Amino acid sequence: MTRYFRETSVALALAALLLVLAGFAPSFYQAQPLLSLAAREAPALVVTCGMALVLICRQIDVSLGSQLSVCSVAAGLLASLHWPLGLILPGSILLGAAFGALNGALVAGLGLPSIVVTLATMVTWREGLRWLRQGVWVELPEGAQWFGLSQTAGQWTLIGVALTLLALLALAMKHLAAGRFVYAVGSDAEAARLAGIGPQRVTCAVFVLAGALTGLAALMNVAQSPQVDPNSGTGLELKTIAAAVVGGVAISGGRGNLGGAGGLGLAGLRRSGADSFARRGLLGKGDPRRGYPAGRRGGRLARPQTQG
Amino acid sequence: MKSPLKSILLRHETVLLLILTAEWWFFSAAGRNFGTLDNTFDIIRHSVEIGLLALAMTAVVLTGGIDLSVGSLLGLCAVLLGMFWRDAHLTMRVAAVLTLLAGALAGGFNAALITWLRLPPLIVTLGTFSLFRGLAEALTHGVDTFTGFPEAFLFLGQERWLGLPAQLPIFLLFAAGIWLLIHRTTFGRSFRALGFSAEGARYAGIPVERRLAMVYVLAGLTAALAAIVYTARLGQAKADAGTGYELLAITAVVLGGTSIFGGSGSVAGTLLGVAAIAVLNNGLVHTRQPREVAGMLTGLLLLAALSGSVLLKRLATVRQRWQSPPEATERTSS
Repeated sequence: MTRYFRETSVALALAALLLVLAGFAPSFYQAQPLLSLAAREAPALVVTCGMALVLICRQIDVSLGSQLSVCSVAAGLLASLHWPLGLILPGSILLGAAFGALNGALVAGLGLPSIVVTLATMVTWREGLRWLRQGVWVELPEGAQWFGLSQTAGQWTLIGVALTLLALLALAMKHLAAGRFVYAVGSDAEAARLAGIGPQRVTCAVFVLAGALTGLAALMNVAQSPQVDPNSGTGLELKTIAAAVVGGVAISGGRGNLGGAGGLGLAGLRRSGADSFARRGLLGKGDPRRGYPAGRRGGRLARPQTQG
Repeated sequence: MKSPLKSILLRHETVLLLILTAEWWFFSAAGRNFGTLDNTFDIIRHSVEIGLLALAMTAVVLTGGIDLSVGSLLGLCAVLLGMFWRDAHLTMRVAAVLTLLAGALAGGFNAALITWLRLPPLIVTLGTFSLFRGLAEALTHGVDTFTGFPEAFLFLGQERWLGLPAQLPIFLLFAAGIWLLIHRTTFGRSFRALGFSAEGARYAGIPVERRLAMVYVLAGLTAALAAIVYTARLGQAKADAGTGYELLAITAVVLGGTSIFGGSGSVAGTLLGVAAIAVLNNGLVHTRQPREVAGMLTGLLLLAALSGSVLLKRLATVRQRWQSPPEATERTSS
């Protein structure tokens, strides 16, 4: 109980919110809208997994939203060329991984601060996409939506994929050596290096993985509607950071649990209740508040910039 | 060992000046009407707001921090200025003073979260980045636009004073103030001490939290000032004012040779960085490139500047190791 204090408190808050919704807005529990909401949030859950890994490694990646937009449009274009799903899926994932590799090379290879690097790549990809596509929506061919399944089956597939990935990654982070390496590098890169872990390789791998997950999420996003919105990733970086931090991932690295990324549920549910401006305010406020214990436990002035 | 001429040539500011000259030469040749006096004034007008933000950002980055919320705060302050004037029926002067106060207050909010709660500046300002923009949109419901400001106020942004753009004196005064603060006072020197080592600064008797708080309040105040100049230049205030300005300001600061890790940098470098970005943006417009290209190039420019400075430093270390005897080399940890 004490060990999972952060996760437990998020779970309790989520349960309380669900109870309140049951009391005041019972329409929230209608099966079809609830399923749609869950399916809509499934891609964000996948991106949150990647973001949580990056944060645990004591880095940040604000370019994931732009990456999702670019991968979505690319996947949509491939689909409109009637490529089979078996080729679009690896294509989208590889494109995301390539974006992540560039971030990783600049951050791990050159030792640049991740916030500045990913801020620059965020703008570069976003503006590049606008320049090439001029904000045009991509029309998907008949039958591409929901991977050619029925809507309900498609929605369940997306939710299933997202939850399976979450479970697998959470287990891997807990029980695989590679997962523990990420924690080690996040809590003390120099100590990790002395222990024989290559911090640069781990950091780079984490960025690549986050990019690959974003590429997958892009496809999950594309599958939900008949057209592809070129701005679908806008603001996603902030939402996923908030979800991860609400879920108990320490922004100062080395701590956190993917199970806690379920904090996303909280952000998603808020969305259904509050109007968009209030939600933006809430998201903005949400993360500093939860980051608090991490900074305090550090016991000194937090200087993440200098540790890059 | 080092000749003085070589050290001047290798200075960051010199390299930047060369880049700026090359940009100027290229766009004068490629674009029509680029080198005219009118266009030069146009560049100055457009770069004043980013210049103000970049100067305050220099102080923030020197302390090892970052402020991502300045662009959003500019939008919020522009909306507040419009509301004070149109909805609260205040005079323009009072509205401007109140806006400056609001900016300082918002900067104080950042400062409180950073120094009292000891949150990383990155996370705090990433949160307020969206909070301030959200507030601006909520206040205007996303559509309300403030226009019809009095002529005397628009003079500040659109007319000439003594033959120069009217906002230029404000900018020069502000730049001189920041230069004095950072380069000529012990107070400003403590910013660098903070960025170099906060713990060391504390042992040296510097009130770390108070100084940090002041830097963020200064950034908030500057964002409000930039909002006033921005509104006067465009003659309208909307919730999306200043979108993306934080990136331009950070790019200018990093391009100007200030270390993003804190501890070293100069005001002159930042000013040259602002000029390089402003000339690039304006030149691209004159060579009929779409706005997206300018945004994309700004991002690439930032990446190039960052990697360039790191690679040069690595090259210098390698050469030093090569030249000095092996027992004298110190192991540099990565």
